[in-house]
Amino acid sequence: MNGNIWVLASADSVAIATTLILAALGALFTERAGVLNLGIEGILLTSAISSFLVADSSGSIWLGLIVGSLVGALLAGIHAVLSVVLRANQIVAGLALVIFGTGLANFLGKPAEGKTVTTLIKPLSFGPLSDIPLIGPIVFRQDPITYASIVIAIVSSLYLFRSRPGLELRATGDDPATVDAQGLSVASIRIRYTLFGGLLVGLGGSWLMLAQSAAWHQAATTNGVGWIALALVVFAGWRPMRLIFGAILFGFTLQLPFTLQAEQITFIPSALMQMLPYLATLIALIALSRPSTRNKLGAPKSLGIPFVRDER
Amino acid sequence: MRSPIRIVFEQRNETPKHLSVLVPLLSVVAALVVGALFLLATGYSPLETYSNMLSDGFTSSRGITDTLGLSTVLICTGISAAFAFQMNLYNIGGEGQLYLGMIGGAWVGLAIGDRLPTFVMIPIVLLVGSLAGALWILLPAFVRSRLGTSEIVTTLLLTYIAASLVKHFVYSPGSFFVTKNSAFPQGRLVPDSASLSGIGNTSLYPSFFLVILIAIVLFWVVKKTEYGYRIQVISDSPRAAHYAGINANRTTMSVMLISGALSGLGGAVLIVGPFGRLDPGIILLGYGYAGIVIAALARNNFSAIIVSGILFAGLRSGGDKLQISTDTPIHIGVMLQGAILLFALGGEAFRRYHIHAVRTERATQ
Repeated sequence: MNGNIWVLASADSVAIATTLILAALGALFTERAGVLNLGIEGILLTSAISSFLVADSSGSIWLGLIVGSLVGALLAGIHAVLSVVLRANQIVAGLALVIFGTGLANFLGKPAEGKTVTTLIKPLSFGPLSDIPLIGPIVFRQDPITYASIVIAIVSSLYLFRSRPGLELRATGDDPATVDAQGLSVASIRIRYTLFGGLLVGLGGSWLMLAQSAAWHQAATTNGVGWIALALVVFAGWRPMRLIFGAILFGFTLQLPFTLQAEQITFIPSALMQMLPYLATLIALIALSRPSTRNKLGAPKSLGIPFVRDER
Repeated sequence: MRSPIRIVFEQRNETPKHLSVLVPLLSVVAALVVGALFLLATGYSPLETYSNMLSDGFTSSRGITDTLGLSTVLICTGISAAFAFQMNLYNIGGEGQLYLGMIGGAWVGLAIGDRLPTFVMIPIVLLVGSLAGALWILLPAFVRSRLGTSEIVTTLLLTYIAASLVKHFVYSPGSFFVTKNSAFPQGRLVPDSASLSGIGNTSLYPSFFLVILIAIVLFWVVKKTEYGYRIQVISDSPRAAHYAGINANRTTMSVMLISGALSGLGGAVLIVGPFGRLDPGIILLGYGYAGIVIAALARNNFSAIIVSGILFAGLRSGGDKLQISTDTPIHIGVMLQGAILLFALGGEAFRRYHIHAVRTERATQ
């Protein structure tokens, strides 16, 4: 029986990684364009509760996912206006978005307290493939959004490094003056990718709600996943492919406390066990910031710096 | 075809005085309008909600003392955030440092409170709480000054770790912090020698005046001392600071530690004041996060933080009482807090730039 639990734990890690992949990809697109959006946690929460309310009242989880994603883009729009158009301090703007999003989500979530989603996003079944020991539950028993998130990450990688608009996006984050000299609008590119990033984060938040949590637990619904996603982008060196593996790794630390509890392994108190994902993220961040590794990571050079054209 | 309109941002050399007052004021009004829209959409009366918040937060005598009492901890976290922010160090983990201040204060109060008189014990609790807050930022401060690791995410991750620590100390069986043989886990009250009593039976504690004093002293330190001047130079131009022989690493370290200590003080103030015990309920209150908003709205000016701290305390305490009186979700207070900051940030642009639209001539296209 013991082996079985660990297979399920690994399967859960892949599942839980879905939100991390989507949220971190959203942050990655935003940051590649040179905009730092620290508001991910607030966006996740607001889109989660929006998707819940829509799915609950319409009875359609897919409508919930769509509305949740759009709410994500909407909130990212606030950040885009503040940081790109009005050139506000992006760090403080992102934090304001977290606080606003948390308050808004809890306000909207009042009627949802104590309710559960009636129909959840269900894992797919691939017939006999899903029954293969070990691989079956991990690879062939996930839900459609989990598969989609991995596909989106792979396509994002191709887009970023193999396409013309991907090149323009990377250039906007590294050297906006050159992009501007090419006759492209830096502001428009930054706004577009900030919105698109918000859309992905919103999808991640909605999935977390409709496939994982199933009930609204206020801020504990996301429990800092947005911040882990931001660290994950650094961990992955702003590259989508590495992000998939990082997300599964962090996903493992996120679900481990629950597995250990289910296994009745209690030599570490459960409250302390819950520190694990944050501790792991912290250690990863510090380990990555040795000057020798930092240069290789490839942070966008103009990240967080508003672009102002030199007027002649 | 019409000629396109371009929006031009012209950097102001001098900010007109009236805008410095008008921008924060209009931000509050705009946020209240947004809040009203949400209230209307969800079926509550904005007018009734706001007038209740106003009377519960500011205009009733009970409301005023509650607000000033709550502002004590909010001013602590506000000056904590501002002290770091002014040097472009974004310590956003004040929330976790506040938890540690509570843990440290409760620990020392429970450990030696029985043996010492009040006038010795109160300073000890406040001091140990501050030290615990500083301890919680030690690692982010160290890696920031030595390795350049961004303090933003590290301080925040430590907040989640601190929250687990609080839960552990309250919910683990036989913990030093809880009442033995109690039906449900609850923090043990610190002895009388480690707690102050409210002024005239209100929730306003003498610690309020201490915190105001600290805010004023910090204002003076930043404006008038050599240390404050060093902070100014580093934040304006790290290069210039380097050439002037200023040790930026050491200043970074000390500024972050002081910032952590101030949030820790906020936690200790709760121990000698309204809470009196380690209470996991603190995790839901977000006093540390509110400090960020308060500091940003006051634009890191320590005397302005006293004002914005009291304003936000009123907003919060008015909002918190709503649920009891009218069943409006209390979270409207936090939401308004975020909205005010968003509008204030947007308004900054109008303070810093002269923004106007120009119709560009087609010939120059």
